[in-house]
Amino acid sequence: MGRLVLESVTKKFNSFQALENVSFEVADGEFVCLLGPSGCGKTTVLRLAAGLEAPMGGNLLLDGNKIEGVNKECGFVFQEYALFPWRTVKENIEFGPQAKGLNKNECDRISKHYIDLVGLNGFENHYPKELSGGMKQRVGIARAYANNPKLLLMDEPFGALDAQTRNLMQGELLRIWEKEHISVLFVTHSVDEAVFLGDKVVVMSARPGKVKEIFDVKLPRPRIRTSLEANIIRDKVLKSLGMEIKLAMKDQ
Amino acid sequence: MKIGEKKKEVVINLLSLVGFVLLWQIILILTREGIFSIPFIRLRDIPTPVETWHALIGSMFTRIYGPSLTYGIYNHVFASLERVIEGGIIAFIIGVPVGIGVGYSRIIGNIFNPIIEIVRNMPPMAWIPIAIFIFVSGGSIFIVFIGVVFPIILNTIQGVRSTDERLLDAARTLGASESKIVTKVIIPSAFPSIMTGLRIGLGVGWMAIVAAEMVIRSPVGLGYFIWNMGDLGRYSEMIAGMIVIGVIGYIMNISILLLQRRFIKWED
Repeated sequence: MGRLVLESVTKKFNSFQALENVSFEVADGEFVCLLGPSGCGKTTVLRLAAGLEAPMGGNLLLDGNKIEGVNKECGFVFQEYALFPWRTVKENIEFGPQAKGLNKNECDRISKHYIDLVGLNGFENHYPKELSGGMKQRVGIARAYANNPKLLLMDEPFGALDAQTRNLMQGELLRIWEKEHISVLFVTHSVDEAVFLGDKVVVMSARPGKVKEIFDVKLPRPRIRTSLEANIIRDKVLKSLGMEIKLAMKDQ
Repeated sequence: MKIGEKKKEVVINLLSLVGFVLLWQIILILTREGIFSIPFIRLRDIPTPVETWHALIGSMFTRIYGPSLTYGIYNHVFASLERVIEGGIIAFIIGVPVGIGVGYSRIIGNIFNPIIEIVRNMPPMAWIPIAIFIFVSGGSIFIVFIGVVFPIILNTIQGVRSTDERLLDAARTLGASESKIVTKVIIPSAFPSIMTGLRIGLGVGWMAIVAAEMVIRSPVGLGYFIWNMGDLGRYSEMIAGMIVIGVIGYIMNISILLLQRRFIKWED
């Protein structure tokens, strides 16, 4: 399970209209990418889904239950990793299981499983400062998965990585996702990334943040970044987004 | 920094110390020969480094002259250190929870802030008269406490408030309760600041103890020692005591820094 539904969600910060009537859905096990110009409220959507903020209007439902208060059935992956610097790789991954009050053996078993899954064997006892950006985000992903969430919320998780590492991590994420099939809502500002990863790409417009267009990406995986079909979709998304970026820039 | 550069710096540091001592010796020799003088300052009463050194060695250990007993600098050091450590421990035990409470909760902050803001501006020395009155014993430990507790409280508050918002969000989405967030995120995150507070506090406490011992007149303690030596006109011993105070303060500071580096391996 892990079906996220947004029904005409509205959010204001003081007088700033961050989101207006945002409606879309992440089906169970679906990988949805949220794309839009900066300041369009992508991150706000994630924070609402995580229950870190409350909407002013509309509903957010996870498997039919209204999200109220911090949503403990979702895993959040942050752009700047947000690892606990005083905890080793293993201890970071065990944070969720420990918070739930699982015993040491279970925590060990869980962290071992996810360290294997994200390929961090041998780095269990390293501190975050000793890891590269890509490795840090592997920890971030493992830590989110270790809590056994129904829904993974990812906020530009690869935004701080160099291009090569970024491509590599996209592949890794899909590999992990195919093994542990849970729904993903993935925020990005990269059209390439959205079309490579998503089953669906939701394009948002800015000021106020609205859903502009939703594209289905019905390409089989593993996808080839340079295939003709991918290019056609990329072109459509880019056009939809391109107009939005122009509008947003005019506003500034 | 390269090892070569580090070595060079240490050499310069040592040379500077040696240079200072030499200058001190030369000025005093010139003064005593009548070649050099500064109006209104009795430079010739200042002991030379060599005299100071002899005084330091001579008064290092306890001696008995007939019926009277003179404590050695060694005893004075331990007496003062003991008071600073005791006052420091009490200040830590009280200061850290108060700092965490004030930093974490607005309400607790509003309750404690007015008291903290006023009392922290009273120097530890201003407490000496009342300490003499109300404490049958341990007045100087109380003065140390006053000196140590505020740097600890203020640095703890600062550490708690500068906890990375994203780490709090991460902990929340990972299912941490509010009490777990305090113990597993806020406290570890504030720990380096708490240690800094302790380090600064002990520095203040060390200064406060010397003043307190001068006034409170305990029979042992470095403050008492230099005051007493000054009274007796034994300036070499007095200066030796002052140097010991400086060196021990320096060693305390460095030890805590090293401990901090040893135990907080995760910090950048």
